[in-house]
Amino acid sequence: MSFTVHHPASVSDAVALAERYGADGRFLAGGTDLIIQIHRKRLASQHLIDLTGLAELRAIEDAGDEIRIGALATHKAIERNPLFQGALVALAEAARVVGGHQVRNVGTVGGNIANASPAADVVAPLLALEAEVVLQGAAATRRVRLRDFLAGPGRTMRGDGELVREVHVAKPPPRSATAFLKAGRRKAMEISVVCVAARLTLDDAGRCAAARIALGAVSATTMRAEAAERALEGALLTDDVLRDAGRLAAGACHPIDDVRASARYRRLLVEALVPRALARCVERISGRRS
Amino acid sequence: MRANRNLVAGQRLPRLDGAPKVTGRFVYGADFALPGTLYGKVLRSQVPHARIVRIDTGRARAMPGVRAVITAADIPATRFGNAIKDQTVFATDTIRFLGHPLAAIAATSVEAAEQALAAIEVEVEALPALYDPEAALASGAPLLHRDWHDYVALPFISRDGNVAGRTRMHGGDVAAAFAQAHRVYENRFTTALQHAGYTEPRAASAAWDGGDTLTVWTNAQLPFEVQTTLADILGMPTSRIRVIVPGVGGGFGGKLRIGVEHFAALLARQCGRPVKMVTTSEEELIAAHPRQAAIITLKTGVDRDGRILARQGRVIVDCGAYSGSGPGTGAVALQCLVGPYRTPNLEMESLAVYTNKVPSGSFRAPSGPMANFAVESQMDMIADDLGIDPLELRLRNIVRDGDTGPAGEVLRAVSIEECLRRAADAIGWHDRRPAPGRGKGIACSWWMTTGGSSGVYLKLNTDGSVNLASGAVELGTAALTGAAQVLAEQLTLDLEDIRIAPVDTQSTPYDYGAQGSRTAFSVGNACIAAAEDLRRQAFAVVARHLGLPADEMRLQGKCVVAGEHRVPLSEVARLSQLGGGGLIAHGTAINPPPAYDAARVENHPLPVWNTPSFHAHAADLSVDRDTGEITIHRYVVVQDVGYAINPTYIEGQIEGGVSQGLGQALSEEIVYSDGRVLNANLTDYKMPTSLDVPPIESILVECPSQAGPYGAKGVGEPPCIEPPATVANAIAAATGLWVTSLPITAEKVLLSLRKEYPQAVDHRDSARD
Repeated sequence: MSFTVHHPASVSDAVALAERYGADGRFLAGGTDLIIQIHRKRLASQHLIDLTGLAELRAIEDAGDEIRIGALATHKAIERNPLFQGALVALAEAARVVGGHQVRNVGTVGGNIANASPAADVVAPLLALEAEVVLQGAAATRRVRLRDFLAGPGRTMRGDGELVREVHVAKPPPRSATAFLKAGRRKAMEISVVCVAARLTLDDAGRCAAARIALGAVSATTMRAEAAERALEGALLTDDVLRDAGRLAAGACHPIDDVRASARYRRLLVEALVPRALARCVERISGRRS
Repeated sequence: MRANRNLVAGQRLPRLDGAPKVTGRFVYGADFALPGTLYGKVLRSQVPHARIVRIDTGRARAMPGVRAVITAADIPATRFGNAIKDQTVFATDTIRFLGHPLAAIAATSVEAAEQALAAIEVEVEALPALYDPEAALASGAPLLHRDWHDYVALPFISRDGNVAGRTRMHGGDVAAAFAQAHRVYENRFTTALQHAGYTEPRAASAAWDGGDTLTVWTNAQLPFEVQTTLADILGMPTSRIRVIVPGVGGGFGGKLRIGVEHFAALLARQCGRPVKMVTTSEEELIAAHPRQAAIITLKTGVDRDGRILARQGRVIVDCGAYSGSGPGTGAVALQCLVGPYRTPNLEMESLAVYTNKVPSGSFRAPSGPMANFAVESQMDMIADDLGIDPLELRLRNIVRDGDTGPAGEVLRAVSIEECLRRAADAIGWHDRRPAPGRGKGIACSWWMTTGGSSGVYLKLNTDGSVNLASGAVELGTAALTGAAQVLAEQLTLDLEDIRIAPVDTQSTPYDYGAQGSRTAFSVGNACIAAAEDLRRQAFAVVARHLGLPADEMRLQGKCVVAGEHRVPLSEVARLSQLGGGGLIAHGTAINPPPAYDAARVENHPLPVWNTPSFHAHAADLSVDRDTGEITIHRYVVVQDVGYAINPTYIEGQIEGGVSQGLGQALSEEIVYSDGRVLNANLTDYKMPTSLDVPPIESILVECPSQAGPYGAKGVGEPPCIEPPATVANAIAAATGLWVTSLPITAEKVLLSLRKEYPQAVDHRDSARD
């Protein structure tokens, strides 16, 4: 295997290189997946466009009603950023269980999204937060919903030459909380067998004003459990209601049997983890209030 | 532990190779490279069972950077192997597993070699394959080795078609005892293929001198076995093959058998340049020497009080395509199936069976954890069924000093009761189910200190230090530091006064090798013998020098003391160099097996265990009833080590062994589907991480042996034996059911709780407390 590594000095240079090389070019961010794919000979890119010198892509900014996460923000940066300690803590919880420390020190949010693994940990909370992705091409910049961006395992709607530049997450309204849970065979260096992210907003009467549930590793892309969300909205969140949401989510997903787990077990995990994640959100909302 | 009166032995001293290892200066086998080296790669089959129609290397030979290409056509079809010579370097006419070597290439870079591999054309004709050892035993099953009759095997091995080895142990009348038993329990257990998990892949560099002398630098565990295996393969006298071990980054038995040395040697011979080979993770997982998967059926009859009346066991070990260590592994399982229990009537059988999968090896305590998982799970099922506390049931059945073991041998220095009681105390046995979904489990076992001989040379230096040359490799256990502590103690030296020479078959004396919990034990004994020789020679030097009688001399404080005179060892060395050619001492050791009753054993390579050790483990864990996830809170090991030569590194052995055992218990498995490994990478082959391993508390018991240095017993293998059973029993305490298939993944636990998994024994309806 041999390839040329390019070190663009600006985002526009990077995009220009990507446009020039088309399918022969790949962006290199943290490389935690790309390098493995190259080693396993599943990828034979001729040109690697190294983004790591583009400091402007590393920023995590509070822009008032939303938070803008640069594509090169590492998992470790998410894990440690105080912006993700309150209602957005699911992002930090997900970032904290990606790989091991070495992976988190270099692996990036942008890479996690662009790689479009259905098991990507950080994608689940981003999807539950209805994140939007800013794509920069040579001609234009566009902003798309993350759920539209994800097209299939390893597939996105990113066009040739387009770079994932930023991810935008709206700040949730008051009385909101998030939670992330992951099941795997071990507690680190693990790809999710199932992961679940939940975002919940309660009204003043304690009823569910809004619920968003994202499921990882149980369908072709990280998915939303919309039937479960609808069943929660307007309801008082009793244990039975949460359990029903788990059942609805389990019924809506499309897991596969593979070496990591059976489809049956994945469904049971969704059934178990969805109520647990929601209960954690409820605890967090009420905990913050008291 | 007992009071230790020694100044060096028994002390927590830092290991001699510690500083270079933690600072990155240490040279491991995979680091070693010769100037001008080429890089070798092996072409491995992509199908599990096939007849080779054609292998065409023409295009590969013409590729840039390629310097040597070899296939079976280029070398004699010599068969080699440990117990049975059933293997060839490359598949000759039949491919027997996916990963079977077909050709090897040496090129100027790894990439050039890999590209050339892809240019080799292989045409095959598929053959019906056997993946299940029970199917391979069925009458009418295709023979995987049609010419098995012609293979050369060790004389005691009993073979038949797909059975590469069959062993039996028996005593008393099992049928009669079952007929009289209060209850008879019969269970089936299965265990998975597990990689030895050494950090450093297998690596070798080979260089020829003048076409008839070969030097190989390798991270092998047994350089002398590599030497003789290469002599077989290359048709050369052993003295023309020099094997040097720069350093080993872990072996755990996975580096006992030849790895890539033969490929490197053959390639280097063809192209006249040094060749280096290092395996990839994928090669490790499809074509190394993992722990055999096993199927164990165990039938135990007990009286009303839970006393064992009879036990019948059968273990099938899946050897894979070649026998490897399978026949021995199956055989040793029989002693483990009896366990440290009085068993008046027993009938045990092991079958090592060929299948079309990776040839397996001898990973740390071969067969120990599999057999122990069966025995100790069943002990708990019996206890639960009879309403007897599992600890109490064990105490009623354990062997005592002077009892006879399974081969009729007399057991000495038996410490199993102390191990069990202390493990139970440490885990808080009185409160065995402290909360819903939480439980404590216990398991115990015994294990051998493998025999085999050791030789060491000592050289006394003029600064008073001593060089120690042993043929035993330092695997990372610090066993050689342990042997050096014994030696320093014997010679009144400090540990830092001992210099350990690198292992080189040309200059170091023979050793049966770093395996079988024997290294510190056996090399330590050889050091005691060599120290005696050194003292004798030193006294003779001083006697000549001072004209005093040698028989009144002694060593003290690094000096020979003769009456009023004190002659430092440095001076002894100088005197010896002046008139005696320097002082070289030699010592050997062999630990002969105890007497046993040969009528009780058939076709067993290790019919009776040397210097057995005893141990008990206990765990406290929680089971998540919704996900099946296991969280281990505490893990306790009580191990009888006879004498703790260096408690720090014994604890290291215990912690490492338990980690490996927990991997086997909960997460590790090479998964096959239709002859192909589905998880041939370290993403999906799940060795536990530091976050998965709980705090491990080590309690060392010292019940001294007659045979080991200062009473030591073998230490290295036992810690990985009990974890699967301990975890299974703790899960059962928490849930009321035993999963009888390793690894006990969260998925199996959850499905068992939901009655959706067949390989579980469910006592929830009959729970007594």
